[in-house]
Amino acid sequence: MKHIVLMLMLLALVVSGCATTDVAVPDDKKGKDAGMKERNAKDDVIKIDRDKIREGALSEEQIRSQMASLFKDIHFDYNRHDVPENETANLRKIAEWLLKNSNVSVLIEGHCDERGSNEYNLALGDERAQSTKSYLVSLGVPASRLETISFGKEKQACMEHTEECWLKNRRAHFVSSK
Amino acid sequence: MKRGLLGKTGLAAATICFLLAGALLCLPESAVARVYIDINSPGLKRLPIAVVDFAGIAEGTALADIIRSDLDFTGLFVFINKNAFIEDATAPFNPDNWKPLGIDAVVKGTAEAEADGTLNVVVSAYDVVESSNILKKKYSSRRDLIRPLAHKIADDLYEALTGQKSCFGSRIVFIGQDGDRKSIYLMDYDGQRAKKIVSKGDVTMKPHWSPDGKKLFYSSLRNGRWGIYELDFDTVSEEKLFSSGATDLAGDVTQDGSYLLFSSSSKGSPNIYRLHLGTNVVTRLTHSDNIDVSPSASPDGKSIVYVADRSTVPQLYIMSIDGMDSRRLTFEGNYNTTPEWSRSGDLIVYSGREGGRFQVYTIKPDGTELKQLTDTGNNEEPSFSPDGRLITFTSDRDGVKGVYVMTVNGDGQKRISPRNIRAFGPSWSH
Repeated sequence: MKHIVLMLMLLALVVSGCATTDVAVPDDKKGKDAGMKERNAKDDVIKIDRDKIREGALSEEQIRSQMASLFKDIHFDYNRHDVPENETANLRKIAEWLLKNSNVSVLIEGHCDERGSNEYNLALGDERAQSTKSYLVSLGVPASRLETISFGKEKQACMEHTEECWLKNRRAHFVSSK
Repeated sequence: MKRGLLGKTGLAAATICFLLAGALLCLPESAVARVYIDINSPGLKRLPIAVVDFAGIAEGTALADIIRSDLDFTGLFVFINKNAFIEDATAPFNPDNWKPLGIDAVVKGTAEAEADGTLNVVVSAYDVVESSNILKKKYSSRRDLIRPLAHKIADDLYEALTGQKSCFGSRIVFIGQDGDRKSIYLMDYDGQRAKKIVSKGDVTMKPHWSPDGKKLFYSSLRNGRWGIYELDFDTVSEEKLFSSGATDLAGDVTQDGSYLLFSSSSKGSPNIYRLHLGTNVVTRLTHSDNIDVSPSASPDGKSIVYVADRSTVPQLYIMSIDGMDSRRLTFEGNYNTTPEWSRSGDLIVYSGREGGRFQVYTIKPDGTELKQLTDTGNNEEPSFSPDGRLITFTSDRDGVKGVYVMTVNGDGQKRISPRNIRAFGPSWSH
């Protein structure tokens, strides 16, 4: 179902882009000063729309590979759920990309290390996913494109019982939710 | 019985059943009943008891074994090797055969099978010192259900000797993991007859019992969505009870069976809610922007103990059933979670971190008498037995997580879950 929704969204972008071009062509024929101004304005619109088309036309493969290189896990301090200072640059890049690629929605998974109760960790993972979402929303990403889920300590990325592993596991992880 | 303790309370309302002319007659116990072991006495002395292998069919030996194991589980009895017994189950009871062995109480029985597979068992218990009958009762059961039958007999013996109900008929559910999948398992209180009962979902959390033992409530992650599910043992069916789309975590059911307590992050941070099990009406109880999770109700239904991180680390708090008058309960340690209120209301058990490891603690609801019960490995997710004398919990002391039990004082810690399953999240039926 989500695949269908995405395809419709892509289709809608392509269709609206073409329509703008069609309208722009007769405007070109108007000429004159007033017409020039109008044309310039329209050209800008066309240009932006073309950008959108280009980005909208990113293949799933391209989206996946761009996300894989950009959407790095956000790591949290022990028993904390506020976004650490050293992760904000990472989140800003993610927000920029999401603002450019408005057809992509993201599921933010909150995870915890193996220590402590399953229940408390699910709550903590929830807060980590939520604070990551809030940060992206504060940078202008529409909340409607950001879903969250907590896995608590149920899905560990790293299985050893070491500080290094625990840090890797205390994370917000991004998944394209299309 | 000089060595026993004469209790002042306990048996006044009990009955004792006698088999007369083939009919089971239950006679009211005399007003002042003898309690052979006063389990609430601080200077408790264990009662020397002999359970003779039952006469009759082969299952008689197994029945006696299970009864012995049940009584032994409580830590209230002393046994001697049955090879030292002079008198077998068919011989008439003679106290002089038992006095030299230092035995105070003797249990004997016969087991006979009918052609249709019905098992008939007659059990007698005797007071060696007084040379009197403590209990005589007849039981019928299907021949393939000797474990539940033996637990029932042991339960009656326990009640006759202590004046209290036992937990021998109770059951424990837990989460078992084979491979990646986490399923709900059900087993007898002694770890026997473990079987997988729910294996749907990617992740399933610790289940919580309805007080009548007929239902389980648990959170499960299915198709990328958390929901609270209800399993009905009578109809053997499961229903989704609640799912907000956020993280919904089932907590305890109130003792009167009317509310399921749970936490949900549907309004932002995880907060505590209650759901009326008759009307499904949901009421929000806490309104914080921190984590509130893991609610458990007091047996009088007036209070809730839960976990909150408003001090920046998880600590236990107590509030009223309406979410008012929250007060902090724990001040020792900086990571205290998974509280459960005992059925008698006098204690709260929880798991706290000490020196990098998790241990089981009890504390009184007024914050006094903090007691650490475990010290080996990580010990978490404690749950009281229905009589409040035992605690089941998760431990990794043997390398792999398993379900353990101990007394409320921390004695007799032993693993009960099957060794071939990674087991955790135990919950004891009421």
